Amino acid sequence: MQRKLTWRWALIAAVTAAAVFFMLPLDKRIHLGLDLKGGIHLVLQVNTGDAVRAEVDDAMERVRGDLTAKGFAPTTLQRLPDGNGFLLKPAANTSAQELNKVIDDRLPEFNVNRGVEITATLKADVARNIRDMAVRQGLETIRNRIDQFGVSEPVIQRQGLEGNRIVVQLPGVDDPGRVKDLISSTAFLEIKPVVSVAPTQEALLAASGGKAPEDSEVLSGDIEDIEGRVSGKEYYLVKRASVISGRDLRNARRSQDSYGQPAVSFTLNPEGAKKFDAYTAAHIGDRMAIVLDNKVRSAPSIRGRISDSGIIEGNFTVQGAEDLALVLRAGALPASITYLEERTVGPSLGRDSINRGITAGIVGLVLVAVFMLVYYKGAGINANVALVLNAVLLLGAIGALGATLTLPGIAGVILTIGMAVDSNVLVFERIREELELGKTVRNAISLGFSRAFGTIIDTHVTTIVSALFLFQFGTGPIKGFAVTLTVGLLISMFTSVFVSRTIFETELSRRAQAKTLSI
Amino acid sequence: MRFFHNTKIRFMEYRWHWIIASTVLNLVAIGLIFFGPGLKLGVDFAGGTQLTLKFKSEPDLKRVRKALEALGLGDVTIQRFDEASAHQILVHMQNPKGQEGDYTSRMIAALEKEFGGAQAIEINLEGSDALRDTLAQADPDKAGGTVDERRAHYKAMADAILGLRKQVGVVTGPDQLAGLAALSPATRAYLAQNAHFGDFAVLAADNVGPVVGKDLRQKAIYAVSFSLLGMLIYIWFRFKLQYGIGAIVANFHDTLITLGALVVTQRPIDLPTIAALLTLVGYSTNDTVVIFDRIRERLKLERGKPLITVMDEAINATLSRTIITSGLTWAVVLALFIFGGDVINTFAFVLVIGIVVGTYSSIYIASPIALGMSNWIEKRKSAARRRR
Repeated sequence: MQRKLTWRWALIAAVTAAAVFFMLPLDKRIHLGLDLKGGIHLVLQVNTGDAVRAEVDDAMERVRGDLTAKGFAPTTLQRLPDGNGFLLKPAANTSAQELNKVIDDRLPEFNVNRGVEITATLKADVARNIRDMAVRQGLETIRNRIDQFGVSEPVIQRQGLEGNRIVVQLPGVDDPGRVKDLISSTAFLEIKPVVSVAPTQEALLAASGGKAPEDSEVLSGDIEDIEGRVSGKEYYLVKRASVISGRDLRNARRSQDSYGQPAVSFTLNPEGAKKFDAYTAAHIGDRMAIVLDNKVRSAPSIRGRISDSGIIEGNFTVQGAEDLALVLRAGALPASITYLEERTVGPSLGRDSINRGITAGIVGLVLVAVFMLVYYKGAGINANVALVLNAVLLLGAIGALGATLTLPGIAGVILTIGMAVDSNVLVFERIREELELGKTVRNAISLGFSRAFGTIIDTHVTTIVSALFLFQFGTGPIKGFAVTLTVGLLISMFTSVFVSRTIFETELSRRAQAKTLSI
Repeated sequence: MRFFHNTKIRFMEYRWHWIIASTVLNLVAIGLIFFGPGLKLGVDFAGGTQLTLKFKSEPDLKRVRKALEALGLGDVTIQRFDEASAHQILVHMQNPKGQEGDYTSRMIAALEKEFGGAQAIEINLEGSDALRDTLAQADPDKAGGTVDERRAHYKAMADAILGLRKQVGVVTGPDQLAGLAALSPATRAYLAQNAHFGDFAVLAADNVGPVVGKDLRQKAIYAVSFSLLGMLIYIWFRFKLQYGIGAIVANFHDTLITLGALVVTQRPIDLPTIAALLTLVGYSTNDTVVIFDRIRERLKLERGKPLITVMDEAINATLSRTIITSGLTWAVVLALFIFGGDVINTFAFVLVIGIVVGTYSSIYIASPIALGMSNWIEKRKSAARRRR
């Protein structure tokens, strides 16, 4: 008997020590959810259609280029409404043989329907692959950006294995607007040759008959006065094909322009440098447009041969220049991004709710503890020890599992503590009943526990079963609830059945012939 | 000390009175939900954008509404949050039909235009980095050097101001900055001159687009349905089908009445509210299982006694436990309800109602249903025996 008790206490001590080890220091081990700590939670969707469309556009340009080179400029080349393919109407003089050769060479990833008109649609598995890559690249890019921004303990992950959604959680961020801009800016940088510049779109296109030539496009840019204020708009006719793009960048950082205003300077990788060098050498005196996300930031004249670096000027604040440099370094997003969900909790709201919740929780628990002592006297101490242990073990388990404590999670804790108290009450009431029937103290305790045992198991398992389903099917907060509930109930079974009983037995072993029990 | 000791209340004798009362209450709840004002879905399920704002003084709700309606996006509802002295409001705006996107920034910008000042520094809205950069630009301390040196110089000051904001929610004026030791006198003077202590600060922002809203609704329904089903099967397996059905009907009864109370108080249903309802279901089932367990035990000990008597005995035997446990947990959630602050208020409210209803339903809904069904099954069996 004595030896058995020693073993029991050793087990309790070991479990408690493990729990204390895993819960301390509290602020490091117990991760509070954003609803308690403050921060920003975003769910965003990568618009993978953009990436597919870009691929289709590329293929169209390749086909156009080849056919034009052979002297068969197609009469119509247009993207299908769903973005998955394009329609080609060959010019009357096109040789069928040459056309087929171009198609075979250039469109291996397309299902091509050859007739008088030709429709090419992207093969399903290729499209799927492009979409998947877009999400993975997007994830990588966003991770890069956030890493460089410097947030501690960020969570950036894909929602589900197949989906096009990304979840971003950034604790403690105090400027949500800036972070959102930082994440969602496509940051697609291109440098394009400028054909002409005009104050209005009409004036710009007057020379080419009101329509941009096939190989060119119209972009706009802001005009700034000497102090960097936007004073109007300007229109640029630029070549579609860019000299270099963001992919050719090696690095970007905040710097200053010749007036001491914030600007972003960049350096090119060897391949980009070669292209840029060749282009600038051949076009001294011409203007080139620095285009960011389809907007002209500036359009300097080429004053000399430039090989591997450049500067983006424009209306920047220090922070703006820094953020742009950051997104350029981290790379462009392969597709645009839409925010599906945003949750921002200011730290003051979080702190306030923690403080008040804790105060209220302590008031409640003290009430329970006092009642147990008054109502069950000596046995009340027993119950209170089990309760405190319950709380310690629960915190330890949360720390060990790396689970996050959220508001609904605390709901789970409350339910757990309620059921732990209930288990003690069940046992004590049973013991009292048995004592009343005239059983000896030892028998009453033993019977009380064994009778209440079945009930405790039933109540706990019923709730655990439902909690498991909640975990399986629930989202964020409901899941958090299910986790603390399940863990808490397992612990509650341990404390109310094993620990509480061990305390009783120890008490009995000290007074072998106990006639009375303080209960 | 003992309460409710050796009671001999004949609970089941009056079961019909209580069942009728419960049915009426449930019908009222159904009426309220489906034909009355209806459940108020919070931003989690209804979608849209919700801002929690703290104002310096009593906010002019008409101006808030005007500023947001001028955006021409969606319906705006404004609601007080927390006690009046906190000057906090919840502003909810529907996203334009079926649209996804970031409406938070647009709403904040509109409010800033209405309540903000002309100055560049908005003490109550700016992030710490932006504040640091503005100070580095203006350089009231004449620290000189490069941008980065000046930034390093002003970083601690910007952080101190954000720290103050975290504490008080909204900085009311320059005199509150006077208490910040981290600020240099020149910076303090500069801010008093140039900063605008806007009327409000954004404590929280939630934006739930239609896709996520639908997803949350669906998953919540799946989670709750399957967990109820799991419970039913477990109780069926451990007891009998009629007991499982009794427990589940009791759960519906409790949830309906609590939902009715949520309609009456017009509290919004959000994910944490669902967690609270699930907690209530947990309590209610726990209570029911304790009684069922006692019934099963007694049935084994005293074969031949009518079920109705056994049930009464079981309920009486567990009565003191029922009252103590429910009373204690009720005291805890009451403490949360009174002192817990507004964030968990709805949560606590659900449990304050739910524990009372859940305790009652174990006795007067779950047990009578199990009793009625058992008697009916018994009757059919004996009828079949007689026919043979």
